[in-house]
Amino acid sequence: MAEYKGIHGTKVQDYTTDPDNPITGQVWYNETANTLKVEAATGAGAWATGGNLTTGRQGLAGAGSQTAALGFGGYTPPGPSGYTGKTESYNGTSWTEVNDLNQIRVFLAGAGTQTAALAFGGFSHPPSTNRAETESWNGSSWTELADLNAGRREIGGNGTQTAALAYGGAPPGTTAQTESWNGSSWTEVNDLNTARTSVVGSGIQTATLAYGGATPTVTAVTESWNGTSWTEVNDLNTARRDIASSIGTSNTSALAAGGTTGSITAVTEEYNGTSWVEVADLATARTNSGAAGTASAGLVFGGSNTTATEEWTGAGAPVIRTITTD
Amino acid sequence: MAKTYQYCVATNWGKGFIDHVESQRITFKGLPGDVWQVPAYNKHGNLWIAKVGGVVKTVAEAQAIVDAEVQTAQAAWDALPDAEKAPALEMNTRPTDITLEE
Repeated sequence: MAEYKGIHGTKVQDYTTDPDNPITGQVWYNETANTLKVEAATGAGAWATGGNLTTGRQGLAGAGSQTAALGFGGYTPPGPSGYTGKTESYNGTSWTEVNDLNQIRVFLAGAGTQTAALAFGGFSHPPSTNRAETESWNGSSWTELADLNAGRREIGGNGTQTAALAYGGAPPGTTAQTESWNGSSWTEVNDLNTARTSVVGSGIQTATLAYGGATPTVTAVTESWNGTSWTEVNDLNTARRDIASSIGTSNTSALAAGGTTGSITAVTEEYNGTSWVEVADLATARTNSGAAGTASAGLVFGGSNTTATEEWTGAGAPVIRTITTD
Repeated sequence: MAKTYQYCVATNWGKGFIDHVESQRITFKGLPGDVWQVPAYNKHGNLWIAKVGGVVKTVAEAQAIVDAEVQTAQAAWDALPDAEKAPALEMNTRPTDITLEE
C-alpha cells in the first residue's frame, strides 16, 4: 500500500496552527486541536459565516475580494437617522470601521478594490434625493469626483476605480440608462434593453452581466454587456430584485445571492457563461446586501438589517477538512 | 409525525460559526432572535449545535422568540410618521411574520 511519504515526499508534519497556504492533498497534524487535517477540494459550493459587520444595515455597496473587501453606505431602519456613510474594511476575518463617505446614502453602487474603490449614485433622505455623486477611496479616505449625468438610486454598477459601468436604477420609475466612467467623468452609452431598478451586476467595464431587478415587477432578465451594447442572455431561475451587489469578474462568471421575490430569499445562483444554475442557499436570507469577490470566492455582508457576513467557496475550491475515523 | 427540523438559539460570533464543511453537510437557516434551524435527527446538526453552544428549543419556543423579534420590528415601523414609511424606499416595508416549520 502506498504511504503518504512515498506520494508526497515528506512525512505528515506537525503544526501548532493550520498552515497558511496548504496545497490540495496536503495532510498535517494540528497539535493544538489534536486532529489530523487535509486540504481537500470541495465537491460542491458552500457558504460559511465570516466576521460580522460592526453596523447592521441594508442597501450598502461593496468592493474588493473575499479576504480584502470594503463595505460603504446603507440604511438601518427605522427612521431618517438610519441613513449612513459608514465605511468598513474586511480582512478575511473581521470588519473595521474606517472613514465615512462624504455623502450619506443608501442604494448606491460600488466598484474597485479594498484600497482603490469607487462609490456612485444612491439615495438620501430627508429630503428624498437621488444622488449623482461619485466618490473615490484611496485606502484611507473618500474624495468627491465628477457626478453621474443622471442621479439615481438602486443603480447597478461594477468595474474598477478608473473604469466602471453604471446602469439602470430609479429616477423614480425605472431607467435603462447606462454610463461609462473613465476615471474622471461619466459618458452616456447604450441603454439596457430592459429598463429596471434594483438591478445588480458583476464584471468589468467592457464585460458586465446585469441581472434581476424590478420593471417594476420583479424580473429574471439577464443582459450581457460587451463594451458597446447589451444583449439578453438566459434568465435567472428565480426572478428577484435587490440581489447582493456585484459578485463576479466578467460577463461569463457571476453569483446571484439572496434578494426579494416578494419575500426575502436565501436563493443563490451561479452563472456559468451560458445559464444560471441553482447552488446552495445562504444560511441567512437577506436582501439589499453588500457583496464582493468572485463567483468562486464570494462575500456577502449585511442586508435586511443583519450584521452577518457569509463567504462563498465554489465547487472545486480547496477547504481544510478534519480527518475522522468514525 | 417525525420532525424535519430542530431549532436552537445561538449567537453568530462570525468566522467559524458555520464552516464550509458543515454547510455542505447540512442546511442552515438563520432566523430573527438568533434562532437557527437545522435538520432533526441528524448527527452533523447535533454536532454543530454542540459546537456553537446552542440552546435547543421546541418549535413553539423558537416560534415565540422569532415572533417577539418580528413584533418589535413591526412596532418600530408602525411608530414611524407616514412620511418616513414611504419616502419611495422599497426597503422600508413593514417586517412580515415568519412561521417556523416542524
